[in-house]
Amino acid sequence: MIAGHSIALLDAYAWIQQVRPEALPLNPIARWEWVFPVVESIHICGMALLVGTIAILDLRLMGVFFTFRPVSEIGRLTKPWINRGLIIMLLTGPYLLSSDPSEYIQVGAFKVKMCLFLFAIAFHFTIIRRATQPRNDGQPPGRRTAAACMSLLLWTSVMLAGLWIGNL
Amino acid sequence: MSPLEFAEFLSRTRISETLRDGIYDFPVLIILHILSIGLFGGALALTDMRILGWALTGIPVSQVIDQFRLWKWIGFVSLLVTGILLTLSDPVEYHNNLMFWVSVLVLAIIGIDAAIFRNGVYRSVSEWDQVLPVPAPARAWAARSLILWIALVFIGRAIAFF
Repeated sequence: MIAGHSIALLDAYAWIQQVRPEALPLNPIARWEWVFPVVESIHICGMALLVGTIAILDLRLMGVFFTFRPVSEIGRLTKPWINRGLIIMLLTGPYLLSSDPSEYIQVGAFKVKMCLFLFAIAFHFTIIRRATQPRNDGQPPGRRTAAACMSLLLWTSVMLAGLWIGNL
Repeated sequence: MSPLEFAEFLSRTRISETLRDGIYDFPVLIILHILSIGLFGGALALTDMRILGWALTGIPVSQVIDQFRLWKWIGFVSLLVTGILLTLSDPVEYHNNLMFWVSVLVLAIIGIDAAIFRNGVYRSVSEWDQVLPVPAPARAWAARSLILWIALVFIGRAIAFF
Protein backbone atom coordinates (compact mmCIF):
# COMPACT_ATOMS: atom_id res chain seq x y z
CA MET A 1 0.00 0.00 0.00
CA ILE A 2 2.84 2.32 0.92
CA ALA A 3 4.61 1.29 -2.27
CA GLY A 4 1.46 2.05 -4.23
CA HIS A 5 1.20 5.57 -2.85
CA SER A 6 4.92 6.18 -3.38
CA ILE A 7 4.60 5.13 -7.02
CA ALA A 8 1.64 7.48 -7.38
CA LEU A 9 3.71 10.35 -6.00
CA LEU A 10 6.55 9.53 -8.39
CA ASP A 11 4.06 9.49 -11.28
CA ALA A 12 2.93 12.96 -10.29
CA TYR A 13 6.56 14.07 -10.27
CA ALA A 14 7.08 12.62 -13.75
CA TRP A 15 3.83 14.24 -14.95
CA ILE A 16 5.01 17.66 -13.77
CA GLN A 17 8.21 17.14 -15.77
CA GLN A 18 6.16 16.13 -18.80
CA VAL A 19 4.00 19.26 -18.71
CA ARG A 20 7.11 21.40 -19.24
CA PRO A 21 9.45 19.04 -21.10
CA GLU A 22 11.60 21.75 -22.61
CA ALA A 23 12.20 23.46 -19.27
CA LEU A 24 14.94 22.59 -16.83
CA PRO A 25 13.91 20.70 -13.69
CA LEU A 26 12.49 22.90 -10.95
CA ASN A 27 14.31 21.05 -8.19
CA PRO A 28 17.76 22.64 -7.72
CA ILE A 29 19.37 19.31 -6.92
CA ALA A 30 18.23 17.99 -10.29
CA ARG A 31 18.87 21.23 -12.11
CA TRP A 32 22.44 22.18 -11.21
CA GLU A 33 25.14 19.55 -11.09
CA TRP A 34 27.01 20.98 -8.11
CA VAL A 35 24.04 20.95 -5.72
CA PHE A 36 24.17 17.20 -5.19
CA PRO A 37 27.80 17.01 -3.96
CA VAL A 38 27.19 19.97 -1.65
CA VAL A 39 24.08 18.41 -0.09
CA GLU A 40 25.89 15.07 0.04
CA SER A 41 28.73 16.72 2.00
CA ILE A 42 26.21 18.14 4.50
CA HIS A 43 24.77 14.62 4.68
CA ILE A 44 28.21 13.23 5.55
CA CYS A 45 28.79 15.90 8.21
CA GLY A 46 25.38 15.11 9.71
CA MET A 47 26.30 11.43 9.60
CA ALA A 48 29.52 12.16 11.49
CA LEU A 49 27.53 14.03 14.13
CA LEU A 50 24.75 11.45 14.44
CA VAL A 51 26.72 8.20 14.23
CA GLY A 52 29.83 9.67 15.83
CA THR A 53 27.92 10.81 18.91
CA ILE A 54 26.00 7.54 19.09
CA ALA A 55 29.37 5.78 18.87
CA ILE A 56 30.57 7.73 21.91
CA LEU A 57 27.43 6.80 23.83
CA ASP A 58 27.83 3.16 22.79
CA LEU A 59 31.46 3.19 23.91
CA ARG A 60 30.35 4.49 27.31
CA LEU A 61 27.74 1.72 27.47
CA MET A 62 30.50 -0.77 26.75
CA GLY A 63 32.59 0.79 29.51
CA VAL A 64 35.43 1.93 27.24
CA PHE A 65 35.37 5.69 27.79
CA PHE A 66 34.07 8.14 30.40
CA THR A 67 33.67 5.38 32.95
CA PHE A 68 33.96 7.94 35.74
CA ARG A 69 30.56 9.34 34.79
CA PRO A 70 27.26 7.47 35.12
CA VAL A 71 25.78 6.16 31.90
CA SER A 72 22.69 8.29 32.34
CA GLU A 73 24.77 11.46 32.43
CA ILE A 74 26.60 10.63 29.20
CA GLY A 75 23.21 9.75 27.72
CA ARG A 76 21.81 13.10 28.83
CA LEU A 77 24.81 15.03 27.45
CA THR A 78 24.85 13.31 24.06
CA LYS A 79 21.10 13.32 23.51
CA PRO A 80 20.73 16.85 22.05
CA TRP A 81 23.54 16.27 19.57
CA ILE A 82 22.20 12.90 18.47
CA ASN A 83 18.85 14.59 17.90
CA ARG A 84 20.41 17.43 15.92
CA GLY A 85 22.41 14.98 13.82
CA LEU A 86 19.23 13.06 13.15
CA ILE A 87 17.43 16.21 12.01
CA ILE A 88 20.23 16.96 9.55
CA MET A 89 19.95 13.43 8.15
CA LEU A 90 16.16 13.60 7.90
CA LEU A 91 16.46 16.84 5.94
CA THR A 92 19.38 16.01 3.62
CA GLY A 93 18.45 12.37 3.00
CA PRO A 94 15.05 12.91 1.38
CA TYR A 95 16.41 15.90 -0.51
CA LEU A 96 19.16 13.75 -2.00
CA LEU A 97 16.49 11.20 -2.87
CA SER A 98 14.49 13.88 -4.66
CA SER A 99 17.26 14.22 -7.24
CA ASP A 100 16.09 10.99 -8.90
CA PRO A 101 13.36 9.28 -6.87
CA SER A 102 12.19 6.81 -9.48
CA GLU A 103 15.74 5.59 -9.90
CA TYR A 104 16.70 5.37 -6.22
CA ILE A 105 13.55 3.55 -5.23
CA GLN A 106 14.63 0.66 -7.44
CA VAL A 107 18.16 0.42 -6.09
CA GLY A 108 18.54 -2.56 -3.75
CA ALA A 109 21.09 -0.90 -1.50
CA PHE A 110 18.70 2.02 -0.96
CA LYS A 111 15.88 -0.23 0.15
CA VAL A 112 18.22 -2.14 2.43
CA LYS A 113 19.53 1.11 3.89
CA MET A 114 16.06 2.42 4.63
CA CYS A 115 15.11 -0.79 6.41
CA LEU A 116 18.33 -0.78 8.42
CA PHE A 117 17.89 2.90 9.21
CA LEU A 118 14.38 2.35 10.54
CA PHE A 119 15.62 -0.56 12.59
CA ALA A 120 18.57 1.44 13.94
CA ILE A 121 16.34 4.41 14.86
CA ALA A 122 13.78 2.18 16.54
CA PHE A 123 16.53 0.35 18.40
CA HIS A 124 18.06 3.61 19.54
CA PHE A 125 14.88 5.23 20.80
CA THR A 126 13.81 2.13 22.69
CA ILE A 127 16.65 -0.06 23.93
CA ILE A 128 19.38 2.56 24.07
CA ARG A 129 17.20 5.23 25.63
CA ARG A 130 16.11 2.72 28.24
CA ALA A 131 19.74 1.78 28.92
CA THR A 132 20.55 5.42 29.66
CA GLN A 133 17.75 5.93 32.16
CA PRO A 134 19.04 7.00 35.61
CA ARG A 135 17.29 4.12 37.34
CA ASN A 136 19.36 1.66 35.28
CA ASP A 137 22.71 3.13 36.27
CA GLY A 138 23.47 0.45 38.81
CA GLN A 139 22.67 -2.46 36.52
CA PRO A 140 25.35 -5.03 35.65
CA PRO A 141 27.08 -4.09 32.40
CA GLY A 142 26.33 -7.22 30.38
CA ARG A 143 23.08 -6.14 28.76
CA ARG A 144 24.37 -2.60 28.18
CA THR A 145 27.41 -3.95 26.34
CA ALA A 146 25.23 -6.16 24.17
CA ALA A 147 22.91 -3.27 23.34
CA ALA A 148 25.85 -1.02 22.50
CA CYS A 149 27.41 -3.60 20.20
CA MET A 150 24.08 -4.05 18.41
CA SER A 151 23.75 -0.29 18.07
CA LEU A 152 27.24 0.10 16.57
CA LEU A 153 26.63 -2.81 14.23
CA LEU A 154 23.32 -1.36 13.03
CA TRP A 155 24.64 2.12 12.40
CA THR A 156 27.75 0.80 10.64
CA SER A 157 25.45 -1.26 8.41
CA VAL A 158 23.36 1.82 7.63
CA MET A 159 26.50 3.70 6.63
CA LEU A 160 27.78 0.77 4.56
CA ALA A 161 24.48 0.48 2.71
CA GLY A 162 24.47 4.21 2.06
CA LEU A 163 28.03 4.12 0.76
CA TRP A 164 27.14 1.14 -1.41
CA ILE A 165 24.42 3.21 -3.06
CA GLY A 166 27.04 5.78 -3.93
CA ASN A 167 29.34 3.19 -5.44
CA LEU A 168 26.89 1.63 -7.83
CA MET B 1 62.38 15.81 -9.57
CA SER B 2 59.22 17.81 -10.20
CA PRO B 3 55.95 16.95 -8.44
CA LEU B 4 54.59 15.59 -11.72
CA GLU B 5 57.62 13.37 -12.19
CA PHE B 6 57.25 12.14 -8.63
CA ALA B 7 53.57 11.41 -9.28
CA GLU B 8 54.51 9.50 -12.42
CA PHE B 9 57.14 7.60 -10.47
CA LEU B 10 54.54 6.68 -7.84
CA SER B 11 52.09 5.54 -10.50
CA ARG B 12 54.65 3.03 -11.74
CA THR B 13 55.08 1.35 -8.34
CA ARG B 14 53.62 -2.11 -7.79
CA ILE B 15 51.13 -0.94 -5.19
CA SER B 16 49.84 1.83 -7.41
CA GLU B 17 49.30 -0.50 -10.35
CA THR B 18 47.61 -3.08 -8.14
CA LEU B 19 45.21 -0.46 -6.80
CA ARG B 20 44.48 0.77 -10.31
CA ASP B 21 43.88 -2.67 -11.77
CA GLY B 22 41.47 -3.99 -9.18
CA ILE B 23 37.82 -3.00 -9.60
CA TYR B 24 37.01 -3.33 -5.91
CA ASP B 25 40.02 -1.52 -4.51
CA PHE B 26 38.82 2.01 -5.03
CA PRO B 27 35.23 1.47 -3.79
CA VAL B 28 36.46 -0.40 -0.71
CA LEU B 29 38.95 2.36 0.10
CA ILE B 30 36.39 5.12 -0.37
CA ILE B 31 33.87 3.22 1.76
CA LEU B 32 36.42 2.75 4.57
CA HIS B 33 37.42 6.39 4.24
CA ILE B 34 33.90 7.75 4.70
CA LEU B 35 33.00 5.08 7.26
CA SER B 36 35.88 6.43 9.33
CA ILE B 37 34.44 9.94 9.09
CA GLY B 38 31.16 8.60 10.42
CA LEU B 39 32.58 6.66 13.34
CA PHE B 40 35.26 9.09 14.46
CA GLY B 41 33.99 12.49 13.33
CA GLY B 42 31.62 12.68 16.27
CA ALA B 43 34.45 12.59 18.79
CA LEU B 44 36.16 15.39 16.91
CA ALA B 45 32.99 17.48 16.74
CA LEU B 46 32.22 16.93 20.42
CA THR B 47 35.75 17.87 21.53
CA ASP B 48 35.66 21.14 19.59
CA MET B 49 32.13 21.83 20.80
CA ARG B 50 33.16 21.20 24.41
CA ILE B 51 35.82 23.87 24.06
CA LEU B 52 33.25 26.15 22.49
CA GLY B 53 31.06 25.46 25.50
CA TRP B 54 28.23 23.95 23.49
CA ALA B 55 28.45 20.27 24.42
CA LEU B 56 29.38 18.01 27.34
CA THR B 57 29.72 21.07 29.54
CA GLY B 58 29.44 19.06 32.74
CA ILE B 59 32.82 17.43 32.10
CA PRO B 60 36.20 19.22 32.42
CA VAL B 61 37.82 20.03 29.08
CA SER B 62 41.00 18.09 29.79
CA GLN B 63 38.98 14.98 30.61
CA VAL B 64 36.99 15.24 27.39
CA ILE B 65 40.19 15.63 25.36
CA ASP B 66 41.85 12.83 27.29
CA GLN B 67 38.99 10.36 26.81
CA PHE B 68 38.51 11.09 23.13
CA ARG B 69 42.18 11.12 22.24
CA LEU B 70 42.59 7.42 21.41
CA TRP B 71 39.35 7.23 19.46
CA LYS B 72 40.26 10.30 17.44
CA TRP B 73 43.74 8.99 16.70
CA ILE B 74 42.42 5.66 15.45
CA GLY B 75 40.06 7.59 13.20
CA PHE B 76 42.76 9.92 11.95
CA VAL B 77 45.16 7.08 11.16
CA SER B 78 42.37 5.23 9.39
CA LEU B 79 41.53 8.31 7.32
CA LEU B 80 45.20 8.98 6.57
CA VAL B 81 45.96 5.40 5.47
CA THR B 82 42.87 5.12 3.26
CA GLY B 83 43.54 8.62 1.94
CA ILE B 84 47.13 7.79 1.01
CA LEU B 85 46.08 4.54 -0.64
CA LEU B 86 43.36 6.38 -2.56
CA THR B 87 45.94 8.86 -3.79
CA LEU B 88 48.31 6.06 -4.74
CA SER B 89 45.64 4.47 -6.91
CA ASP B 90 46.15 7.25 -9.47
CA PRO B 91 48.89 9.68 -8.40
CA VAL B 92 49.06 11.56 -11.72
CA GLU B 93 45.32 12.19 -11.77
CA TYR B 94 45.37 13.57 -8.22
CA HIS B 95 48.46 15.62 -8.97
CA ASN B 96 46.44 17.35 -11.70
CA ASN B 97 43.46 17.89 -9.41
CA LEU B 98 43.30 21.32 -7.77
CA MET B 99 40.92 20.18 -5.05
CA PHE B 100 43.36 17.46 -4.02
CA TRP B 101 46.05 20.05 -3.32
CA VAL B 102 43.56 22.29 -1.52
CA SER B 103 42.67 19.35 0.75
CA VAL B 104 46.35 18.71 1.47
CA LEU B 105 46.78 22.40 2.31
CA VAL B 106 43.76 22.46 4.63
CA LEU B 107 45.03 19.33 6.36
CA ALA B 108 48.42 20.99 6.88
CA ILE B 109 46.77 24.14 8.28
CA ILE B 110 44.70 22.04 10.69
CA GLY B 111 47.84 20.25 11.88
CA ILE B 112 49.84 23.42 12.41
CA ASP B 113 46.92 25.15 14.13
CA ALA B 114 46.48 22.18 16.46
CA ALA B 115 50.17 22.21 17.37
CA ILE B 116 49.97 25.93 18.15
CA PHE B 117 46.91 25.32 20.32
CA ARG B 118 48.56 22.44 22.19
CA ASN B 119 51.70 24.44 22.93
CA GLY B 120 49.83 27.64 23.60
CA VAL B 121 46.57 28.15 25.40
CA TYR B 122 46.08 24.44 26.12
CA ARG B 123 49.13 24.51 28.40
CA SER B 124 47.04 26.41 30.94
CA VAL B 125 44.00 24.16 30.61
CA SER B 126 43.84 23.40 34.34
CA GLU B 127 42.87 27.03 34.88
CA TRP B 128 39.88 26.93 32.57
CA ASP B 129 39.01 23.24 32.75
CA GLN B 130 35.62 23.76 34.33
CA VAL B 131 35.16 27.45 33.61
CA LEU B 132 32.38 28.76 31.41
CA PRO B 133 32.78 30.60 29.14
CA VAL B 134 36.02 29.00 28.00
CA PRO B 135 38.76 31.60 27.29
CA ALA B 136 38.46 33.29 23.92
CA PRO B 137 41.71 32.01 22.33
CA ALA B 138 40.67 28.39 23.00
CA ARG B 139 37.19 29.00 21.64
CA ALA B 140 38.64 30.71 18.57
CA TRP B 141 40.83 27.68 17.90
CA ALA B 142 37.94 25.26 18.37
CA ALA B 143 35.82 27.27 15.95
CA ARG B 144 38.64 27.32 13.39
CA SER B 145 39.17 23.59 13.83
CA LEU B 146 35.50 22.77 13.38
CA ILE B 147 35.17 25.01 10.31
CA LEU B 148 38.33 23.57 8.72
CA TRP B 149 37.33 19.94 9.28
CA ILE B 150 33.83 20.58 7.88
CA ALA B 151 35.40 22.40 4.92
CA LEU B 152 37.67 19.40 4.41
CA VAL B 153 34.62 17.15 3.98
CA PHE B 154 33.31 19.46 1.23
CA ILE B 155 36.72 19.80 -0.40
CA GLY B 156 37.32 16.06 -0.25
CA ARG B 157 33.97 15.45 -1.91
CA ALA B 158 34.82 18.06 -4.52
CA ILE B 159 37.93 16.08 -5.49
CA ALA B 160 35.68 13.55 -7.18
CA PHE B 161 33.66 16.33 -8.74
CA PHE B 162 36.50 18.12 -10.50
